[in-house]
Amino acid sequence: MATKSRFSRRWLMAGAGATLASPYIWTSAQAQAAGTIKVGMPLALTGPLGSVGQQQKRGAEFYTKLQNAKGGWLGKKIELLIEDTAGNPAACVRKAQEMVERQDCRLFTGITLSSEALAIVPKLGEWNAIFISSDNGDGRLTAESFVPNFFRANTSGPMGTRAISLYLKDAPYKSFYALGLDYAWGHNSVQVFENELKRLGKDFVGKVFAPTGTKDYSTYVTKIRQSGADGVYLVLAGDDNNAFLAQAAQYQLAAKMAMLSEQLELTAMRAVGDACLGIIASARYAFTIDNPKNREFVELWKQEHGGQVPDQFEGEQWQCQRVFEAGIAKAGGIEADKLRPALEDLTIDDIKGQVQMRKCDHQGVQQGFIFKAAKREGFSHPVPEIIATLAAARTTPPCNKMTYDD
Amino acid sequence: MQKTNPLPALGGFAVICLLIAAPFGLPVFAMTLLTELIILGLFAMSLDLMVGYANLVSFGHAAAYGLGAYASGYMLLNSAMPLPVVVLLAALLTGSVAIGVGWVCTLATGVSFSMLTLAFAQLLYAIAFKWTSVTGGSDGLAGIPRRAGPFSITIFTSKTGFYYFALACLIGAYLLCRALVRSPFGLVLRGIRENEAKTLVLGYNTRLYKITVIAIAYALGGLAGALYAPFAGFANTELLFWLLSGQALIMVIVGGQGTLIGPILGAAFFMLLEHQLSSYTEAWALFFGLIFIAFVLFAPEGIWGLARRAFRRGRAPAEAHHG
Amino acid sequence: MSTLALLLTQGVNALSQAALLFFLGVGLTLIFGIMRIVNFAHGTLYMLGAFIGYSLVRLTGSFWLALLLAPLAVGLIGTAFELGILRRLYRRDAHAFLMVTFGLALVTGEAVRLIWGSDALQVPPPPLLSGVVFLMDEPFPLYRLFLVGFGLVVAVAIWQLLERTRLGLLIRATSQNAEMVHALGVDVKLVRSGVFGIGCGLAALGGVLAAPLVTASHGMAATAVIDAFVIVIIGGMGSFLGSLIGALLVAFVQVFGNYYLPDFALAFMYLVMLLVLVVRPGGLLGKEA
Repeated sequence: MATKSRFSRRWLMAGAGATLASPYIWTSAQAQAAGTIKVGMPLALTGPLGSVGQQQKRGAEFYTKLQNAKGGWLGKKIELLIEDTAGNPAACVRKAQEMVERQDCRLFTGITLSSEALAIVPKLGEWNAIFISSDNGDGRLTAESFVPNFFRANTSGPMGTRAISLYLKDAPYKSFYALGLDYAWGHNSVQVFENELKRLGKDFVGKVFAPTGTKDYSTYVTKIRQSGADGVYLVLAGDDNNAFLAQAAQYQLAAKMAMLSEQLELTAMRAVGDACLGIIASARYAFTIDNPKNREFVELWKQEHGGQVPDQFEGEQWQCQRVFEAGIAKAGGIEADKLRPALEDLTIDDIKGQVQMRKCDHQGVQQGFIFKAAKREGFSHPVPEIIATLAAARTTPPCNKMTYDD
Repeated sequence: MQKTNPLPALGGFAVICLLIAAPFGLPVFAMTLLTELIILGLFAMSLDLMVGYANLVSFGHAAAYGLGAYASGYMLLNSAMPLPVVVLLAALLTGSVAIGVGWVCTLATGVSFSMLTLAFAQLLYAIAFKWTSVTGGSDGLAGIPRRAGPFSITIFTSKTGFYYFALACLIGAYLLCRALVRSPFGLVLRGIRENEAKTLVLGYNTRLYKITVIAIAYALGGLAGALYAPFAGFANTELLFWLLSGQALIMVIVGGQGTLIGPILGAAFFMLLEHQLSSYTEAWALFFGLIFIAFVLFAPEGIWGLARRAFRRGRAPAEAHHG
Repeated sequence: MSTLALLLTQGVNALSQAALLFFLGVGLTLIFGIMRIVNFAHGTLYMLGAFIGYSLVRLTGSFWLALLLAPLAVGLIGTAFELGILRRLYRRDAHAFLMVTFGLALVTGEAVRLIWGSDALQVPPPPLLSGVVFLMDEPFPLYRLFLVGFGLVVAVAIWQLLERTRLGLLIRATSQNAEMVHALGVDVKLVRSGVFGIGCGLAALGGVLAAPLVTASHGMAATAVIDAFVIVIIGGMGSFLGSLIGALLVAFVQVFGNYYLPDFALAFMYLVMLLVLVVRPGGLLGKEA
C-alpha cells in the first residue's frame, strides 16, 4: 500500500470529518447584522432552468446596487442572500429554512420553479415571512393555494393567455390548435385559452401536451399540421420551447399557420434565431415597452451590462423589487404584520406602467403586452416589437380565480 | 478466537446518547438539518440492504421514497389518522408494492435487473405526474400537516417530538437490518451475493430470498419517504425521479456498502457537502464531482471503512493484523 | 393531409428519431458492451460535443468541420480520462465505475456551464441542409433525411469495423474474454483505451448532430443518459445490431404512440423496456443475462 494512498486517505477522512462536524452548520446563527435588510433568494442558478434563475439574480443585484447607492430601504443596506437550489424543491425548502432560522431573513423573492414556490408557500405563515413572487406564473398561487403572506408582482400564466385571447378578438384567424407542456402551467394556460376562444366564438380544434424533456417534436408538428387550424397556440418554456421552435421552423410550420405563444424570452430568441420570426406572443416584460421609466431602465441596464438589453425575468425581478420598496416605505418596517397590510392595495408606476397589488388575492393588476418577433437594426436575433397593449382591468382575472367571467 | 470487543458497542451507545441530547444543545436550524439527515440516512441504509448484502443494485430506489412520501402525505391530508400510524401504513404499502416490483425485476440479473428497477421507478413517476386528482400532478401535495399521535399525544407536531420519532424509526430500522443480516437469512443473502449459482445448487430458492430483501428494503425506504412528507410539508414528483436514485447509490458507495452504518454517514456527508458547497460557490457541482472521484481512487471502502481503519490503527498492532 | 401522407410523414419522422436515438446510444453500446462500464457521464459528453460543435461552427463557419473535430476532441478527452483514472479501476467492482463516471458527469456538466454560460446556444444546420423535401405535398426537413442517411452510413461502417477488421475482432474478443486475448499477447489495455475514446467520440458526434434540432443546452445531458441506457438494454448489452434495433423499436413506438395516445408519452419507452426484459431478460439480441 503506497504511502501516497494512505496520505490521500487521511485527507479524505479529514475532509469527511470536517464536513460532518463543520462549525458553520452546528453553531448559532449570525445575528441580523446591524443595519442590513436581508432578502432571501433560493434560486435555480444551475440545472435546466439555470438561465431563468440567473436572470432573477441579475435583476435583483442590479436593483440592489442602485438602491443601496441611494441609501437602501429605511436607511439600511439591502443584503441579498442568493443560493443555488439547482431546481430541486427539497433543496429550496432547506435553504429557505436556513435563511429563516440561521439568518433571521423574513423577506423572500426569486424562487424559480413553481414546484419550489408551492412547497415554500405553506410555510410562510410559520416562518412569519413575506414572499413576493417575480416569476411564478402558476394560477393556483392566487387561487386554491393562496396564503396571506404571498404576493405576486409578476404577470401570471392565465394573464398571459388572456392577453393573447383579447388580441385575437379582432384578428383574422378563426380556428386554433394548442400545444402545451404536460404539467400544471401548460394545462392551466391551455384551459384558459380554450375557454376564451369559446367566448370569442372562435374554433378550438384540439390540443396536445408534450412531456418536459421531449427531444423530438416531429410527431407534435405533424399533429399540428394535420389539425388544419389557422393558428397554433404554444405554452412551452425553456429547452422545450427552443427545441419545438427550431424543429417547427424546419418543417416550415409558420408558412402554413399563425404561431402564437404565451411567452417568448430573449434567451429563446437568441437560441433559435430566425426560427421564431413572426411569432406573436404575450410579454411578461420586454425591453421594447415604450414608457419613460422603461427607457431609462433599459439605458442604465445596458451601461451596466456591456450593451446587453434586459430580458423578461430581469425586468420582472426589477419590478418586484420596486414593489418591496414601496411596501417597506409605506409600512415603515419589514415585520410581516406591518408589511402585509402595507402591500395590499399598493400601487406603483414603473417600467411596465401602473401595477396595483390587489388586496383580495395579492395579485399585481397590470397591463398585458403583445409583441411580434421581428428583426431590428443592431441585433443579430429577432426582438419583441410591441404591437398591442391591453388594459390591466381586462387582463387580470377576478379575485382568487384562474379563469375569466366576461 | 477473538475477544468480543466492547468498544464499538460503547461507541454506538455514546453516539445515541449524543443524538438524544441534541435538541438541548443545538440551534434551531441545526436540528432541522439533523432531522433531514436522519431521514436521508434511513433511505440510504435501506438501499444498502439490497446493494451491500445481496448485490442487487437498484437504479430505482427513489420509487420507495416517493411512494412512501405520497402515501403518507395523502393520508395526512385526507384522513384524521395520527402520524405514527400513517407513517407505518405508508411503509407497509411500499413494501407490498415492492413484492410485485421485486417479482418482475428478479426475472433478470445484473444490469438488466437494475434497469428494470429504473423502469418501475420511471413508470411510477409518470403515474404520479399524470394522476393529478390523487397526487397533485406536477404540483405535488403541499401543506402536509404533522398530525397529533393517538390519544391526543401532541409530541409529533413539535419539531423536537418529530425528531425523536424519526430517530426512533432509524434506530429501529437499523436494529432490524442488523438482526436480519446476522441471521441465517442474511447468510443466504451473502451466499447469493458471492455466488448465486452455488447457492441455488445448495437448494435455496434464491429468487424468493431476493424478493424478500427487496420488499424489506423498499419498505424501509418507504418509511423514510413517509417521514419526509410531514417533515418538509410537501411531496412531489422530484422525490420519484431517477436522479434521487442515483444519489442514493452514491451515498451507499461513499459511505461504504454492506456496512449499514456507512451509508447513513454517506447520506449525511452527501447532503451536508452539497449544502455547504452550494452556499460557497455556484460551481459547487465541479468540486462535488472531484471529491467523488477522489473517494473512488483513494478510499474504496468508503467513509465507514476509513473510520474503521483509523480506529484500528490506534489499537495494538497484533489486533490490527486480524482486521 | 390524407391518411397515406400522414403515415408516410410519421414513418419518416420515426426513422429520423431512430437515427437520433441510434447516435445517442451507439457510443454507450461500445463502452458498455465491451468494458461493462456503466458510463454515467455519457449524457454530459453528448452535451459537451454539442457545445464544442457550437464553438467550432462560430469559429470556422463550417458545420462539417465541427462534425469532424468535436467528436475528435471529446474522444481525446475521454481517452485521457481512461488513461488517468479508469485504468486503475478495472480490478475493482462495477460500483467504482458508477461513482467515478458520476463524478465525471458532475465535473463536465459544471465545466460546460462555466465555459459557455447558462443559456442555450444556437447551432444552425449547414445551409446545404436547411431546406425541405416534399413527401406527398408535405414538407419534410432535409436535415432529418440527412440524419437517417448518415445514421445508416455510420451504422454500416461500425458494423464492418467490428465484423471485418482485425481491430473489430480484437474488440469483440476482448468483450467476451479479456484474459484469453491478453494471453494471446494483445495489449488489452490499449484496446480498452481505444474503445472508450471511440465511445466518447461517438457520444459527442450524437450531440453535434442533435444540436440543430434541440440547440446546445444544459438540459440535454440528463435525458440523454437515461434514453441511451434504455436503448442499449433493450437491444441487449454488447450487441451493436441490438442497439440499432432498439433505437428503431423505441422510435416507432414513441412516434406513433405519441400521436394516438399522447397521454402515455412519458411512459412508452419504459413500457417497451419492461416488456422486452420480461420476455428476454438479456435484451433482444443480448446473451442471457
